[in-house]
Amino acid sequence: MEFEIIKNERLSEEYFTLKHPSGLKILVYPKEGSHSTYAMIGTHFGSINREFIHNGKKITVPDGTAHYLEHKLFESEEGDAFKQYAKTGASANAYTSFDTTCYLFSCSEKFDESLEILFDLIQSPYFTPETVAKEQGIIGQEIKMYDDSPEWRVNMNLLQAMYQEHTINKDIAGTVETIAEINPEILYECYNSYYNLNNMVLSVAGNADPQKVLEVADRKLKMNAPVQTESLFPEEPYSVGKDYVEQILPVAVPLFALGFKENAGKGFATTKELLCTSIIQEAFAGEGSALYRDLLDKKLINSSFYTEYSEGNGYRYLAFQGETRYPSEVSKAIKEAVIKLHETGISAEDFENAKRCVYGRIIRGFDRPSSISAELINGEFTGRDIFEGAELISGITLEDVNTRLASQLDPDNCCLSVIKAITEVT
Amino acid sequence: MSDFIKREICEGVDFCNIRDDRFKAGRISVNLITPLDRSTAAANALLSWVLTRSCKKYPDITSLSRKLNDLYGAALYPSVLRSGDYQLISITASGLDDRYSMDGESVSSELADLLCSIIFDPKLVDGHFDDEDVEQERRQLLEDIDAEYNDKRLYSIKRCLEIMCRDELYSIGRCGSREDVEALSHGSIVAAWKRLLDNSKVRITMLGSADPDKAFERFSAFFADKPRKFRVSPVVVPEVREVKRIVETDEISQSKLVMGYRCKYPENNRERIASTLMSTVLGGTPTSKLFENVREKQSLCYYCSSMVENKKGLMLISSGVETENIEKTEKAITDQVELLMRGVISDDEFDSAKLALKNAFISVMDNLAAMESFYLNYILSDQTLSPAESVQLLETITKEDVTALASHIKLDTVFSLVGN
Repeated sequence: MEFEIIKNERLSEEYFTLKHPSGLKILVYPKEGSHSTYAMIGTHFGSINREFIHNGKKITVPDGTAHYLEHKLFESEEGDAFKQYAKTGASANAYTSFDTTCYLFSCSEKFDESLEILFDLIQSPYFTPETVAKEQGIIGQEIKMYDDSPEWRVNMNLLQAMYQEHTINKDIAGTVETIAEINPEILYECYNSYYNLNNMVLSVAGNADPQKVLEVADRKLKMNAPVQTESLFPEEPYSVGKDYVEQILPVAVPLFALGFKENAGKGFATTKELLCTSIIQEAFAGEGSALYRDLLDKKLINSSFYTEYSEGNGYRYLAFQGETRYPSEVSKAIKEAVIKLHETGISAEDFENAKRCVYGRIIRGFDRPSSISAELINGEFTGRDIFEGAELISGITLEDVNTRLASQLDPDNCCLSVIKAITEVT
Repeated sequence: MSDFIKREICEGVDFCNIRDDRFKAGRISVNLITPLDRSTAAANALLSWVLTRSCKKYPDITSLSRKLNDLYGAALYPSVLRSGDYQLISITASGLDDRYSMDGESVSSELADLLCSIIFDPKLVDGHFDDEDVEQERRQLLEDIDAEYNDKRLYSIKRCLEIMCRDELYSIGRCGSREDVEALSHGSIVAAWKRLLDNSKVRITMLGSADPDKAFERFSAFFADKPRKFRVSPVVVPEVREVKRIVETDEISQSKLVMGYRCKYPENNRERIASTLMSTVLGGTPTSKLFENVREKQSLCYYCSSMVENKKGLMLISSGVETENIEKTEKAITDQVELLMRGVISDDEFDSAKLALKNAFISVMDNLAAMESFYLNYILSDQTLSPAESVQLLETITKEDVTALASHIKLDTVFSLVGN
């Protein structure tokens, strides 16, 4: 069994990849001189996966199931994985996003033992009515913590308003009511559908030796026969469901998120599309842009202002967000600037300036084993190689960017989400 | 590789660097530390923002930001922290390592130049900072201070510390109060600039693959003839006379409980590490006493963690709970603190906390920003410990050492923010 080596000369970086006989895809990215190792195993199963077909049977699960499963996998019949990690000194965690669930650890010694624990963790589900019930209180508190978070709420409200059908409009952790429906059978069904090793990816970055990873994999991984799991997503119309949504929370400075919904098509955005969007974000709304300056001069934004592009299976949108005392004014100013931008396009000067900025950011991303690990896994699920951005960026032209712009930032398809202060007069 | 080298420019000003070619980025920062003082804290904070928004060469945020974009998206930003009873103002420039620039230019020397320009050669009009710049940054700083209330976890911690340390410098806060910022005159900003450069203890740090000598020369040229006497005052941990209990209410779904404790002020590096280890055993990991008992056994919360402020001799425990469980949680936390104080620490608890801390120390060496802030902890100290030396010292710490420290823990303040 040989690893394939993927090299990049520009970055002087390389990684090793292999499809293990167990079904698991393994990616190892050694960083010379690194003292610590970062390992992550992921499945393409997140909060948006409410419906799927597994071995011909259609399954619908309560909102928040993927996240609940993430919590419960830490427990096996032998006990709690955290306790085992405690013996190796690894710092372990897991997270559930809209479309993935990842389990990770970082360590500076006893890597083999920690990797064994990670493999055990994802291969020994143990759900009983008692263990499942115990988590209700803990996750209930996690949900309430997010209910009080204005940053989280402004984004979730935006998604709920923009997306009429797609399950990205559901909170990742579900609600106290939906998680009450979760039982061991549901968790086992999800586990069997998405935690088959053929549907999973392991990435290791930092102080890592591919052969050592392989040895542990050979020793610990059980053969998995491939399963057929098809994720189902409802058809989402192009237009936003609502163009305004607000919530009142105890905040001293109100928050806004202005999202521009796009046609998501069927697959994922390409690296080239993402690069063009990054350049648009920087040129149009970065700190060096005319828009940023205008919003500052009008006292509409502060240094918390930022833009973010999100895309996945069936959703794509670009959001402008931050704190503001004047949400409708900031929204109006951005929309007017968007309309102007579509008339003029990005200028050659702004393009060059933003492109250099994006280039530097991409290269520097390769300093962090945690982000390398996450990007490697992401790349497996989206079909975008981790080195592609660094390779393509210099070839991106102004024309590419303005072509991309035509399919983005539709001023007639956006939504403003606002978190208002309690004392504010409405 | 990764050796920490410290050179003195003059009394009170040093230049530290770590030459390391493992990274694709580099960073350089100017750090100014000064005692917390009600009359200067707000001006120092506002100054740090005003300085990083423009300079004589790049007179507004647009031209400065475009210059940074041109330098491959370099970042230039201030940070204002409270470090014990001191205020630490840092201005950092970070950017792409020289080896990766497209046109072969030296990003690191451009960034060093830029940092010198904004700190030593700001845009002054008749000896003062530009009115509009000051007002723009004042508005943003006020919004920043106001927004601390938005995050209830951090806000509760802030309130607990304010109440606990109300008669101490520590309560001034990292940027002073909202009222202090509002009351600042324009003249006070320029005065803060002169005072900080002349009187504060200064440390310039440079990390990355670039040769530090040029930057050293550049900063030496400015500081060499400006020695300063900087006296470090001894830390006195106040006696707890009675436990302060404050309950505030708010429209929140999850109530917050923050408990503030006085600890022994660590006298040396070994005691400092022992103190951090003590907090790690109590509530620093997913197998710590608090996580294991308050979260896992009693399902009372999602988070319950402890942190020590070694520069001040205090410890905080913070959790988010159902309103009806506040008392029960306080009891559960108190039980665990008492066990710790009595030295009831299992081998597993102790060994795993040690391993976790060791991992944290070693991981510092793989991240430039982490290295920078790790060493900045020693800005006022004569004995700097590297992460590797910290691990060596950690290995020598016994359960008895931790228990001896823990026996000094005293509850001082219980703050709860209760949902209506």
